[in-house]
Amino acid sequence: MDKPRGRTPPPPAEAGQTDEQLFRPVADTVLLGSTAQVRELMRDGLLERVLTRVTNWGRRSSLWPLMFGTACCFIEMACSAASRYDLARFGSEVMRASPRQADLMIVAGTVTKKMVPMIVRLYHQMPDPKYVIAMGACATSGGPFKEGYNVVSGVDEFIPVDVYVPGCPPKPEALLYGLMRLQAKIDGESFSAIRAPREDMEKRYPIPLLGPDLVDVRQIPEIQKLTAAPVVEAATAEEKRKPVRAAAPEKTLPPGRAVALLKKSDAKSGAKGDSAETVLARLRQVPGAEDDLDGVTFPAGRWLEVARVLRDELGFDYLSNLTSTDYPDRIEVVYHFYSTARTGEPLWVKVATSRSEATVPSLVPLWEGANWQEREVWDLMGVRFDGHPDLRRILLWEGFAGHPLRKDYQEPYYEEPAKPFGSRWPDGQHRRAEERNPFGRNVRYPHGFDPATFVEADPRIPVVDATELRAGIPDAEKMIVSFGPQHPSTHGVFRMVTTLMGETIARVDSVMGYLHRNHEKIAERNMWAQVMPFTDRLDYLCSMSSNLGYALAVEKLLGVQVPERAEYIRVIMAELTRLVNHMLAIGTLLNDLGAYFTPVLYAFEERELILDLFEMTAGSRMMCNYMRVGGVARDLPDGFVERAKALVEDRLPRWLAEMDRYLTRNEIVMTRTKDIGKLTAEQAINMSVTGPMLRASGVRYDVRRAEPYSIYDRFDFAVPVGQNGDAYDRYIVRLAEMGESIKILERALRDIPAGEVLAGQKRWQIRVPKGEAYARIEAPKGELGFYVVSDGGANPYRYHVRPPSFINLTALDAMSQGHKVADLIAIFGAVDINMGEVDR
Amino acid sequence: MDWLIIAAIKSGFVIVILLTGFAYGTLLERKLLGRLQVRYGPNRVGPFGLLQPVADGLKLLGKEDTAPAGADRVVFTLAPMISTACALSAFAVIPIGGTIDLLGRRIDLVVADVNIGILYVLGVTSLGIYGIVLAGWSSNNKYALLGGVRSSAQMLSYELALGMSLIGVLLIAGTLQLPKIVEAQATVPFILLQPLGFIVFLIAATAEVNRSPFDLPEAENELVAGYHVEYSGMKFALFQMAEYVNLIVVSSLATTLFLGGWYGPFGLLPGPHWFFLKVFLLICFFVWLRATTPRLRYDQLMRFGWKVLLPLALANVLLTAVGVLVLQG
Repeated sequence: MDKPRGRTPPPPAEAGQTDEQLFRPVADTVLLGSTAQVRELMRDGLLERVLTRVTNWGRRSSLWPLMFGTACCFIEMACSAASRYDLARFGSEVMRASPRQADLMIVAGTVTKKMVPMIVRLYHQMPDPKYVIAMGACATSGGPFKEGYNVVSGVDEFIPVDVYVPGCPPKPEALLYGLMRLQAKIDGESFSAIRAPREDMEKRYPIPLLGPDLVDVRQIPEIQKLTAAPVVEAATAEEKRKPVRAAAPEKTLPPGRAVALLKKSDAKSGAKGDSAETVLARLRQVPGAEDDLDGVTFPAGRWLEVARVLRDELGFDYLSNLTSTDYPDRIEVVYHFYSTARTGEPLWVKVATSRSEATVPSLVPLWEGANWQEREVWDLMGVRFDGHPDLRRILLWEGFAGHPLRKDYQEPYYEEPAKPFGSRWPDGQHRRAEERNPFGRNVRYPHGFDPATFVEADPRIPVVDATELRAGIPDAEKMIVSFGPQHPSTHGVFRMVTTLMGETIARVDSVMGYLHRNHEKIAERNMWAQVMPFTDRLDYLCSMSSNLGYALAVEKLLGVQVPERAEYIRVIMAELTRLVNHMLAIGTLLNDLGAYFTPVLYAFEERELILDLFEMTAGSRMMCNYMRVGGVARDLPDGFVERAKALVEDRLPRWLAEMDRYLTRNEIVMTRTKDIGKLTAEQAINMSVTGPMLRASGVRYDVRRAEPYSIYDRFDFAVPVGQNGDAYDRYIVRLAEMGESIKILERALRDIPAGEVLAGQKRWQIRVPKGEAYARIEAPKGELGFYVVSDGGANPYRYHVRPPSFINLTALDAMSQGHKVADLIAIFGAVDINMGEVDR
Repeated sequence: MDWLIIAAIKSGFVIVILLTGFAYGTLLERKLLGRLQVRYGPNRVGPFGLLQPVADGLKLLGKEDTAPAGADRVVFTLAPMISTACALSAFAVIPIGGTIDLLGRRIDLVVADVNIGILYVLGVTSLGIYGIVLAGWSSNNKYALLGGVRSSAQMLSYELALGMSLIGVLLIAGTLQLPKIVEAQATVPFILLQPLGFIVFLIAATAEVNRSPFDLPEAENELVAGYHVEYSGMKFALFQMAEYVNLIVVSSLATTLFLGGWYGPFGLLPGPHWFFLKVFLLICFFVWLRATTPRLRYDQLMRFGWKVLLPLALANVLLTAVGVLVLQG
């Protein structure tokens, strides 16, 4: 130790930027003054060793995660904070919602192109030293959604990742192990090691832009080169020449015509006494109507008029589903109508329009519930809706190139129209998708696109609208606050752009698509059986329900008879799922009301017990992938029934009673939720709201009763309804439904017969006869519908999900106006959504 | 000069106690919350997790200090200091014990025995709100702004009820000096004479220190982190410190005014240990509240403050005044 410590003056500043200046230790300066002094002190090594030990120990022992998760993995991340795993033991339960106070970003879930700019921005907002864990297959590499057009192949393309946790989703134990690996990594860090300064990090990991596709500004020269050269265009043209699989629809409907199809079976149950004939007879009176096909056709221009007749005269007051199918010669917009007063099958209406100038009259004037569904059809299929008040893209962003659900749309990682891909099966060799793409990642740009001169579309939402002007709200008194996409109460990545007057809400504009993982497009490339695991990831809390809905839709086309035992197993699983969902719905609602995690952690504790049952049956606790077309994948394991009985007959009723005792008459819960977010029955039906929300508004409508599926007609259960349609009633309805589910479960577990669990042989591929089907179930969150079109091939020609979470959210703006900021969160929580299902 | 040295030593002691209290208050809260939520809480860092606050502190010390673009830098830096300074100085007038003999001197176990102790505490804690309001205003962030605004509104609604709830105690004790108030409780703690006053005080105090169910200024589920949303590193730690020290101050005040301060029950040996035990139990009570109650809404909270708490506090003053008059007369 011949050097005097800490007395050397700092070296004179040099003109050029040396490494020393570029990489100065940011954190260290806080501790001990100037960098030069620290370096001097460190020359002998002892001080450095001590400091390294101490600081590393502090950092490793106090890793506060950013409270943020994009998808399914976040549920497991939340589980890891619950009693069975308890992240708190490591001192990491302090999940900070503000990135300024977080040390660790756990990227839990799929990273979409729409979301990645936000993630990078959050990363930069975190103070140094910061760490990143990529949790799950998606965050690591794109996972099962890699081929999607809106999915990034791993978050490490945009921010540096320290630890990868594999799994889909990884179990909480895996996350804990990941955390321990990160701690080990921190132990190996050196105190004097250089940490790049902020400006440099921001340059190295820039925030990408949302252009016609995701623009990584580091790739600008490459993009300029490739989009300028005609080669890209030629390649695309060649691709285009490959035959797009031509569907051979049985009925052809000329563009510009609409057809109303009524299933004959509906006529029998018509409560209003409308037989199929009377309905069709009434429709025939529409000017220009002709008998055709199975029903009546009429000019598309008269569609709004016909729809009004359907709603006001014929009682089809409830627009369940609105979607579209792309055929080689036309696009059909498909509607499914029901009556809330009657039971039975839906009335289908299809409106055909030309592919080049697809336009259809909007139904928003009649059904508010058509609003977002039409925006979705515009976004993904490129059909314009005449008379729509606000036709913007909804899942993708303004400026995105193309309408992805069109059959001729090809994703950047496009390989072939449908699986199995010749390159991989039977004896092909898989090449990484990145190697086939000229940019080395999941992007494609139109010819002539110049990222250097590109200006991102104004992301702002037009905030002044007619109602505001009429209400005379002056601009100066308004404040626009954006809740989300990273916000503790958005239940995932949802964004509410809220116009506030003080704390009072004038308007809520919802922005979504941050988790749009191209479910439908991927499903249409997949084979029928391959779609099943993707349905798990729709509503990732209720994978069993989604499985069931999809299986039912395909079974309708196939006409299979599901074995008795399998039907019972399905009901058991679906009702257990409902319990899981409602537990968490109530728990998170309380969280949104400001209860500090206690109710939700109690819910997680019970949920674990049900997940154990799922795990012992299906092998996976969250993504069960258990149902099959024609039954279930395998029989129940030994001991399942006993364990389930013990749970259903003893523990869960006690838990339910406990929740009821603590929450139902709780003074604060009542003042916070009563008269908040009211929806009348008429409003709810008009907005196509379903599930507990609809019933809370006093409409006794449950698909299990209205159009019984599986063996629900054998069970005796009540359909609880509310009176006021407020957030409190939604809570009460959910609580009561759990009681009913327990009743169904008790009965099903008692009566379950022995026997087969799958009709026919296990097959790796199913062939589905030509046709189309719409099947719906009462999923925990509402009516979950699957619309499938088969052209007789190995893949679904069209596959559409009617997501209850998405459509229920249509009512958010109407429910929140005039309430306070805190109420918005409560209202949103009481809707009970799941972003996997909203964005798909 | 003696009094100055003694005061300095006492201040040093109090600051050390408060800062340790802050550090271990966070651990206590995390452990208790864990137990209340059927889990363990921190137990890996050091034996029983006892070094957790040390690790947190070390880490926060080494974090990058960020300030958002467009922030008012001076006020942004000043705000956490105001909060912490006010919180720490409020404790100065609170007696933790009677008088002891040390090195041949009689020493009062209070830093400053001023004759307007209560007024001083009320004044200084009110000043602390400035830290929060200024933080909210200077952060150039809408969540922070909303948090700051809520905080000032909350203070207006609760300060009054808080002050009023203490008047009963003053009427009985006949002094504003805190050690004297404690001495007046040598036989009967005021909680028995002033049950209504105690309840009003406890509720108003919960709002005063922004604890659940009145934690509106930082309401995580609505405002992300409220007024301190943009603070990182040590500045954030200062706000946390202010919050916990305020909690300690309020608990100490409740102990002093209502629970008999350093006096123990059944004539057991009086001393600071009683004081600390009572404060500890009160803090546990606040943690318990946090673990079990949802949050009230901003306007509901104001309504509750003005329409329920204030009339109750006034009724309490009236009742006490009549009672004192009758007993004396």
